[in-house]
Amino acid sequence: METMKRETATENQDIAISVRDITKSFKVYYDKGVSLKDKLLFRGRGRYENHQVLRGVSFDVKRGEAIGLIGQNGCGKSTTLKMLTQIMYPDSGTITMKGRVSALIELGAGFHPDMSGRENIYTNAAIFGLTRKEVDACVEEIIAFSELGEYIDNPVRTYSSGMYMRLAFSVAINVNADILLVDEILAVGDAAFQAKCFNKMREIKAEGTTIVIVSHSLGQIEQMCERSYWIDKGVVRKSGIPREVHAEYLAFMGEKSAENRAETEAAEKNAAQGGKDDKRWGSREAVMESVEMLDEQGRATNCFHSGDAATVRIRYKAAGKLSDVVVGLAVYRSDQTYMFGTNTMIDHLGYAVMEGEGLVELHMQDLALISGQYTLDLAFHKPDGFAYDFWREACTLQIISDKEESGAVSLKHEWTFH
Amino acid sequence: MGMTRKTLRELYDYRNMIYMLVRKDLRGRYKGSALGFLWTFLNPLLQLAVYTLVFSTVMRAGIPNYYLFLFVALIPWLAMANSVNGGATCILSQQNLVTKIHFPRQVLPIAAVTTSFVNMLLCMIVVLVVCAFGVGLDLAILWYLIPTMLIEYILAMGLAFLVSCLTVYFRDLEHIIGIFVMAWQFLSPVMYGIDMVPERVYHIFMLNPMTAVILSYRDILFYKTAPHLNTMLLALGMGIFFLVVGWFVFAKLERHFAEEL
Repeated sequence: METMKRETATENQDIAISVRDITKSFKVYYDKGVSLKDKLLFRGRGRYENHQVLRGVSFDVKRGEAIGLIGQNGCGKSTTLKMLTQIMYPDSGTITMKGRVSALIELGAGFHPDMSGRENIYTNAAIFGLTRKEVDACVEEIIAFSELGEYIDNPVRTYSSGMYMRLAFSVAINVNADILLVDEILAVGDAAFQAKCFNKMREIKAEGTTIVIVSHSLGQIEQMCERSYWIDKGVVRKSGIPREVHAEYLAFMGEKSAENRAETEAAEKNAAQGGKDDKRWGSREAVMESVEMLDEQGRATNCFHSGDAATVRIRYKAAGKLSDVVVGLAVYRSDQTYMFGTNTMIDHLGYAVMEGEGLVELHMQDLALISGQYTLDLAFHKPDGFAYDFWREACTLQIISDKEESGAVSLKHEWTFH
Repeated sequence: MGMTRKTLRELYDYRNMIYMLVRKDLRGRYKGSALGFLWTFLNPLLQLAVYTLVFSTVMRAGIPNYYLFLFVALIPWLAMANSVNGGATCILSQQNLVTKIHFPRQVLPIAAVTTSFVNMLLCMIVVLVVCAFGVGLDLAILWYLIPTMLIEYILAMGLAFLVSCLTVYFRDLEHIIGIFVMAWQFLSPVMYGIDMVPERVYHIFMLNPMTAVILSYRDILFYKTAPHLNTMLLALGMGIFFLVVGWFVFAKLERHFAEEL
């Protein structure tokens, strides 16, 4: 018996978190009575629906490993994290965790506004289960990390929200936890402090702390984690190397939003047909019948990765023979920033000749845009600007990226160090 | 049983949190007032003054040194009343912690009861000083205060565990408990002696664990005699009973606090 125990112990020595087939459902009350009167008098009234949030999630995390949980809102990832924190418990299944757990979930919960920053460090650390001696040992480190300096002895109510978060984060990350649970924290403070937090997390990870991150920022997960778990409708849909999981997740999300948009567009079109369309004007001697975007494989889609190749295909119909058509395109970002514009005249192609029906295709080798929503304006017009068919927001374009580049465009780049 | 041991070990790890909560509550209570912490002592003294005025000059009770007779029972009674009232609200008032951070939930009722008792210990200094001037102190008897307080602490803890977790599920309980505590005060021999209780309800009276506790305090401080062993054992037994029941009910209900709040 004794030897068996020891064997299993060594076998599992490296596993810091073990989650086995956990399920959880919440009661969603239609009309919830919390008072005794309600419970006694209106027993039938407490009607509720069971909302199953988790339907059997399992995973193991090794000591010193970091994993990310991703998924749409309401998929169950935050509930999973809450159960790891032991604020809630699963309906079935087990969770085993080794060591002290610290959670960067609700930063600053339990802060007392009238007490000084220093006093709050003591109370807050006590809530994390530290003894006074342990707090004494790390209080200077916490203060130094928070960069609050002399403000540390002022009441917390006088702090700016940035200072408040800095203090809260400093306590949570400096309590020497064996397991660190993180929920969207790196939105804390300014860029410099974020970078510092990120480095600190890497540091404690290198020291052997196990980290679980829930985030919408896939880039951060890729930088920190060995593995990602994509949770969808209460089950792990895919797990593995973050880049691979995220690519599939993004593709799924892109399709989903394209579907949604197709529906709304169809609805808009129906509505527009009745009245005058203020997004489209011109003599209609040449008209765009349809516009679609194609990916490299020739499939119609509105969702591209940053840097993908794309084709805009316009199906047109001309009433007679037109020999002076300029075809133009403009790309706008969702905030109406004009990103790019060109036409066949600018591209030294001269005028297009249109007669009857035909196709115009514009091939782009590299959508050098950062992630976001864009719209395309398309136009057939005369060289002097007279519009045959001008179509504002003829189609939309969604760019996704696994990187968090900033600015307006995604310049092709690589780094070298010498 | 394994769960209980795990919780106890965890509670030991979180002893600093209990300490911080008690300290915060005691210090925060009179924060901003000019006399500050002095109120801890002033409050019982002023209460004593009121009771003396009423019962020695207006409603004469016929008991010599009635103000002391009442005072030595009132302070321990207030500790119990504050424990139960404070216990009832301790989870609800800390719901932002309970729904967001993990810690053994037992910390909250333990801190609430401990706060009341630390407050009582401070008031006891006043009681002892007043007794020393009033009826004198018997140092050989005084040590009985320790087991008496311990028994009361166990009893208060058991009740606080029970009411704290039940109020989360039935919010009305908070108000019901206020009335209950008031009724309980009049059914315990705080303002009167046990000899005033009619013979036929005497045994029912002794079933009230606070009867035994109050009588013990009065024996020690007012009559300067050792308390009755039987009554103390009875109170201890009931205290342990409530503590065990409270502990397990709490452990069962505690798991769904975050969802109920």
